[in-house]
Parts: sequence; structure tokens; C-alpha cells
Amino acid sequence: MKTVVIEHLARVEGHGGISVVLEGDKVSKVHFDVFEGARLLESLVRGKRYDEVSPILSRICSICSAAHSLTSLKASENAFGVQVSPQTQLLRELLYRGESIQSHALHLFLLAAPDYLDFPSAIALAAEKPDAVLLGLRLKKLGNLIQETIGGRAVHPVNVVPGGFGTVPTVDQLIELRDGLMEAIKDSQDVIELMASLPPADFCQCDTAYAALHSPNDDSYFAGDEVMLADNGNRTVMRAAEYRKLANEQSVLHSHAKHSSFHGKPFMVGSLARLTVNPQRLNGRQAVAMERLNLRLPARNPMDNNKAQAVELVGDVERALDIIECLLRDGVKDERPVEVQVCAGTGTAITEAPRGLLVHSYTYDSEGRITAADMITPTALNAASMELHFRRVVEQCAEREEAVIAKRLQMVARAYDPCISCSVHLVRRQ
Amino acid sequence: MKPLLAIGLGNPLMGDDGVGCMVAERLVNDPRLPDSVEVISGGSDLLRYCKQMEGRSRVVVIDAIEGDTEPGIVLTFEGACSGLSERQDHVHQLSAVQAIRLLGLLNSIPCTLLGISVSSAAIGSGLSPAVDAQMPAILDSVLQELGRRLPDNGRRP
Repeated sequence: MKTVVIEHLARVEGHGGISVVLEGDKVSKVHFDVFEGARLLESLVRGKRYDEVSPILSRICSICSAAHSLTSLKASENAFGVQVSPQTQLLRELLYRGESIQSHALHLFLLAAPDYLDFPSAIALAAEKPDAVLLGLRLKKLGNLIQETIGGRAVHPVNVVPGGFGTVPTVDQLIELRDGLMEAIKDSQDVIELMASLPPADFCQCDTAYAALHSPNDDSYFAGDEVMLADNGNRTVMRAAEYRKLANEQSVLHSHAKHSSFHGKPFMVGSLARLTVNPQRLNGRQAVAMERLNLRLPARNPMDNNKAQAVELVGDVERALDIIECLLRDGVKDERPVEVQVCAGTGTAITEAPRGLLVHSYTYDSEGRITAADMITPTALNAASMELHFRRVVEQCAEREEAVIAKRLQMVARAYDPCISCSVHLVRRQ
Repeated sequence: MKPLLAIGLGNPLMGDDGVGCMVAERLVNDPRLPDSVEVISGGSDLLRYCKQMEGRSRVVVIDAIEGDTEPGIVLTFEGACSGLSERQDHVHQLSAVQAIRLLGLLNSIPCTLLGISVSSAAIGSGLSPAVDAQMPAILDSVLQELGRRLPDNGRRP
């Protein structure tokens, strides 16, 4: 019997490990061990007023705090039947794109790239290839600036409130963002070239099901209410309120993150899923980028999620520019948030956080206080799929050298860009 | 923007580890501080101040250093701080030396580390008597080192 144990995955958000047991050529156990402590955030918000919920639940994550804030607001607004203005929707989408730019830049350059080039860390990479790291940091800085301008802060936005925004950006602020985004067009192209120059990582082939928000007429991460699951040409569509039908969460003994599957099959969420479910978005420079990266959909290699993030970076910069042009053309109205009339009810929202589908679902009493809350994060949805892909990595690795298996496992883990601290929401069973 | 930025680092709840922050706090109110120096008492995460570093002629980091040197002595390290350990005690933050080396790779702003030797850093507020007694001399040395690095001092900034 042989074991491969990665006690602590480095260069991911949160704390988790991987353990593998081999008996001869047979892979007898593969576990994605999520030992990050339970966060208990769903319990913390019970009894809280609707306007306290988003700032509290944003604290689950500092990388995707805007996604949690906005998904939380959308779930509450759905519960109370609040319709926000078209300008608010545009500004929220812009905030999402800013977050996606900073998150993808962080992941691709500081977390994933060192693996491909055999560097132990981004710091070591910076010593040899400072231009690559600076490119990533420039894009991350731009994403942060978008979040600061629209959300009031780069992390845990304070300007997003039920029904709209506390303040709206000025024309000068939007022009500053537009100038930064214009410069970033070249940077996003350089991202594609850098990704195209990396050595191939083709050591895990697997039939994979993908789930993402599907909005055929709306190029959006935030709007939309339909989730599509694509599995070998079979496509299943569900409404956000039916999220339990998609997730089918199950507790597992070895992990603080529940496992999800649809009809017994794990599925992947994130950039690769978004591109697979929404191929109609892949035009212009994104289509050219896909061709340059030789990215074919539906992909059988989970490492292609890194390529998909690079393609999305190109799309995020373009979409953010479009939104700003639209706001400047139509003029930014000094809107007050839509007034909220509280009532008893349940509201569910699903959006596309940088790492994939994010669910917030709340039940309110007649005074607008939470009686029940449920959150499912992309990494929780991905946990079972990650484990399946880890198994395929080991099965398909001709070498039985522990270091080779461990490196491949870690590369696939990082390709998922997991946010482990977001993923935990239960206590381990006895 | 003032051309020279001095950042005092440390955790005041860890005894002498907080000496960099305490020096920074005293410098802010010290009439001898040159007008061209901005001082920040910066906690323990140097990278948090990347944005404030942009456009400066030099950054001077003031931090505690553990070692065999007598407590309260100010040691000077330029550039990549050769000879100092990169030991990282925090899962979410780089050590000061790691951060200085990373910044040296990514920006062209010259950096100096003024290391104040301490004998220990354990949980507890306030400095040890040995370091506390040296505080006036530490401030004199730090001000002298800052003065040497002013862009209008006739030396290379």
C-alpha cells in the first residue's frame, strides 16, 4: 500500500489537503480533506434585520466579498419583491466585473502560474520573470480600483445597500476607470500570450458536467435566474429557487464541505462552466483568445479552467468598458435606493462569483428578520468534482513517484481556484 | 507627496516586537523630523502600504530584529537585506524581509531597513526595560539615518 498526502494545499484560499491511498495499481481512496473550521455564518444571521445581512455575510470571503454582498442583497430583494433600477443593475454588474478581474489576475499569476514554470512561489517567479508578475498585479490593481469606486472599498463593499447604492460614481471617476480599462485591453491580450506560452498540462482527462448561470439575452454574471447543467450534450435548466434540485448536498465524513451532485454525477462550476454553458458570448476578442489557447468546449481537462479564466479576463475588461460607456452616454442619475417594504417570505438568488455559481437563500418573518439562511458557494459545489478529478489524475499517472502525483494533484486543485474557507458550512459528523 | 516614506512595523501586543510602531508614533510628534519625511505606524503587514510607496524617492522600514546584538541598537540594511532570515510567522502575511525582497523585484523604489535589535518578543504590551531605556538613543539613530537618506542631502536618494 502506498499513500500520497498533501497536508496543506498551498496557494489556495483557506485550509485543506488531499490524501490518496494506492493498493498496487488500484486507487483505493482519494479524499479532498477540507478541515477549515465551520464558519456558522448562516446561524449568525438568524434574527438579523434585512439591512444587516449583506455586510455580515460578505465577511465569508475577502476575495469574492462583492459577489457575496450582491448575491445577499439580491436574495433579500427577491424575498421582498424589490425591483432595482437598470442603472443599479449596470453598476452591480460593473462591480462584479471588477471583482472578477482582480480575482482571476490573482489566481492566474500568483497562484497557478508558478506551477507551470516550476517555481515554488510567485515570489520566486517574480525574481526570474518580474514582467509576468507585474502584469498580474496591474490587472489586480485595476480590479480593486473598480471595486473601490463602485463599492466604496476594495474588499467588503460598503456602498451596496438594499435597493441600490449609497452613492453613485461621478463622471470623473467613471472616466478614470475607463482610462484604466483602455490600458488593460493590451494587458489582457498579454495575459493570453503568456498563457499560450506555458507548457501544456495534460494529465487529467475526464467526462465532466458543467453548471452555470444561463442568460441567453444578457451578457451578465449578476442578472438572470436560470441555471443550466450541461453534460455531454444533455442540457437541464433550473430556476434559482430550485437550487436544491441542482446541488443535492450530502455530508461526507472526511470534509467540512458538503458534496454536491446532479443525478449522482459531480459537476464543475466556474469559468470553464460559464463558457461551456454560454458559448454565444464567445465572440470577438474572446473567440480569438480561445483559438490562441486552443481551448475546445466542452473540455475534458480541468486544467482548462485556467485558460477559461484568461479568456474571461479579456471579456471582463471589454464588458466593464461597455458598461462605463453606457453609463457615460446616458448620464449617471443620482438615484436613491428603492424603498424596501418588508414582508414574510423566501428569496433566493444565484449569481456567478469569480469561482462559479453562488447561492444565497433566506426566509424572512413579517418584520424583515431572517428566520433561516442557506448559502452554497462555488467551492462547495465543486468539492465532489475536484475529488473525482483527483482520482483521475492518480489513475492516469503512469509514474508512481510520489512527488509527480503530488504536483499534478496540486495543479488540478489550483486550477479549480478553490476558496476553501468559503466552502465550509457544517460540523463534521461523528 | 513627501519624497521619503518611513514605515514602522510591529505588533504592540507582542512586547518588543512593537518597537517599530512605537518609534513611528514618536517620530510623528518629534520636532526634529524633517519636513520631507512622512511617517506611518504600520502594524505588521508591509505590503498593505504598496500604494503609499508609489512615487517616493525612498522607503525606510523600521522593525524589530531578534539576534545576538545588544538590545536597542539600530542596524541598517539596504536593498534585499542580505543576511536576514525570511522566516514567516503568519499564514496570511509575508515577513518584512520577504516583503522588502518582493517589492525590490517589482518596483524600483530604493528601500532601507532600520532594524532595532531586541532580545525577545513575547505576548504582552509595552517594551522591555532594556529596549525602553534605549528609546531616546534609538530615536536619535533613526533620525540620523533618515537625515542621511533625504533626497536633498547631497547623497544619492
